[in-house]
Amino acid sequence: MLHCEAVAVGKRYGRGPWILRDIDLRLAPGDVLAVLGANGSGKSTLLRILAGLTRPTTGRLTGPAPGSRRAAVGYVPDRFAAQERLTAAGYLTHLGRIRGLPVTTARRRAGDLLDRLALVGGPDAALRTLSKGNAQKVALAQALLVPPDLLVLDEPWSGLDASAHTVLAELIAETAADGGAVVFTDHREAVAEARATATRALAGGRLTARADAVPSAPAPPAPPAEIVLTGPPGPAAPDWQVLPGVLALARRGPELHLRVEQPHTDAVLLTALRHGCSVRAVTRPAPPSAPDASSAAAPAPRTAAR
Amino acid sequence: MTALVRYQLTTLLLSQRYLAPLLLFTGLVAVLTSNDSGPLTAAHGAAAAAMLLAACWLTMALTGLEDRPHRALLTAATGSRLRLLTGTVLTALLGCLPLTALGLALPLLVGTHTPTAADLLLGTEAQLTCACTGTAVGLLASRPVVRRQGYGLLLALALLLALTVSKGLPPVNLLLTRLSAHHDSADLLASTALLLALAAALLAAAAALAHTVAARRD
Repeated sequence: MLHCEAVAVGKRYGRGPWILRDIDLRLAPGDVLAVLGANGSGKSTLLRILAGLTRPTTGRLTGPAPGSRRAAVGYVPDRFAAQERLTAAGYLTHLGRIRGLPVTTARRRAGDLLDRLALVGGPDAALRTLSKGNAQKVALAQALLVPPDLLVLDEPWSGLDASAHTVLAELIAETAADGGAVVFTDHREAVAEARATATRALAGGRLTARADAVPSAPAPPAPPAEIVLTGPPGPAAPDWQVLPGVLALARRGPELHLRVEQPHTDAVLLTALRHGCSVRAVTRPAPPSAPDASSAAAPAPRTAAR
Repeated sequence: MTALVRYQLTTLLLSQRYLAPLLLFTGLVAVLTSNDSGPLTAAHGAAAAAMLLAACWLTMALTGLEDRPHRALLTAATGSRLRLLTGTVLTALLGCLPLTALGLALPLLVGTHTPTAADLLLGTEAQLTCACTGTAVGLLASRPVVRRQGYGLLLALALLLALTVSKGLPPVNLLLTRLSAHHDSADLLASTALLLALAAALLAAAAALAHTVAARRD
C-alpha cells in the first residue's frame, strides 16, 4: 500500500511568493525520509502538506490524508503549546480518546510512552511547568498513542537531550518497522543521515535529492603552492631552505620559484616581502592524481600576479 | 466526537475564558429583568439578546484557545479539519445550555412571575435561536478565519449590530420584535421554532464558510 505521494505540489499564500514548487515525493511503508533545509526554506509547510493539514495550491496529494478512516497521521509541530493547566498524562489521555482509544488503553499508552521518554516531573507534571525539551516529549508521545501510518515530525531533535535522542531514534525505527512511513526535518546533515533511509534537501522551494553516497570524510591535504619571487637585492636574501614549509627551490633567471606547503604560504610571503622581495605570482597547481568527484569541482589554479 | 468535545470543554473550563461571557450574560439578564412583574415574553427577549452576545463571545474564546501549531496537531488527531470544527460548534452550543437554564431561572428569581410550560418552552426556543446565531457570528470572527483578533472583534460587533437592529431581519431582530409585541407565549411557540430552525441553518452555513476560509488560510 502506497502511503503518501505528492505530485507537482506547490504552495503560496494568497499572492505571496511561492514557498514550494514542483515537489514530487513518494513515501512507502518503512521509509524514513529526512528533509534538510535552512530556516524558512519551507520545511514546515511541506510537512503540513504531507500530513494533510495544509492544502497545496497546485498539484495533488494522495495517501493517508486526515479523513481517510484507516490511516492514522501523527503530527508533531516544531512548537508545542497545549492547555497549560492539564497534566501531561491527562492531556495524553484526552488525545488518546480523541483518536478513539478506550480511556484505560489511552492512559496506559500515555504512561508507557512518558516512561520511555523519561519525562522530567513524571506523568502528573502540569504542561505549564515543562521545559521545551520535556514539552517536545509530550508532543512526541501524542503522535504515537496510536501506531501511526504516517509520522510527521517537525524538527524533532531540537531541544531533546542525548538520552531522548536515542529513544526518539528507536521510536522512529519501530514506527518504520511496523509499516509506517516517517518524515522529519532538521537543519543538521549529520543527524539526518544517521537516522534516515533517504535524505532530501529543500532550497528555493524545490526539493533535490542528495548524493547519499558522499561521506563527510576529512578533506585531503591541499597541494603545495608555487611562489614566484624576484629580488632581493644583494646579500639581504634569507635562507629560503630553512623556512618552515618550503619544499623546493629553483632559480630561473631573475626569478626564484618556491614550492611551499599551503599552511605556510602566508608566513613565507611575509618573510619575502620583509626582505624586499617582489611577489610575481602565487599559483596552486592542480593535484596530480585527483579523484574523479573532486576534479570537476576543483577550482582552476588561482593566480595572483602583479 | 464525544472525546473531542470533552477535551475542548476541559480546556475552556481550565482557561477560565468562559467567565467573562458568563458574567456578561448574568449581569444583562439580572439588570434587564429585575423587579419585573410584566409579561414573561419581555424577559425572554432580554435573555435572548444577552445570549446572542454571550454565545458569540464564548465561541470566539473557544476558537482562540489553540494556537496554529496545536490546532494542526488536533486536526491530525481528530482526522480532519471538519471534525475539529464540528467539535468546536458542539462545544460552544453545549456551553450555551447552562446559560439557557440561567436565563430561564433568573427572571423568575429577581421578578414576580407565574410561569407556564409554554413560557418555559418559548424561553428555551428564543435563547437557543440566539445561541445558534451568536455561535455563527463567533465562528466567522474566530481566529482561524480572521487572523488579527482586533479585526475579528470589529467584524463580530458589526455583524451582531446588523442582526439586532435591522428591522424585521430574521432570526434575531424578528424574534425580539415579536417577543416585545406579543404577550402570550403559546401564540409564539410555532413561529419561534421556525426561527430556531433558521438559526441552525445559519450556523451550518457560517461553519461551512469558516471551514472554507480557514482551509485557504492554513
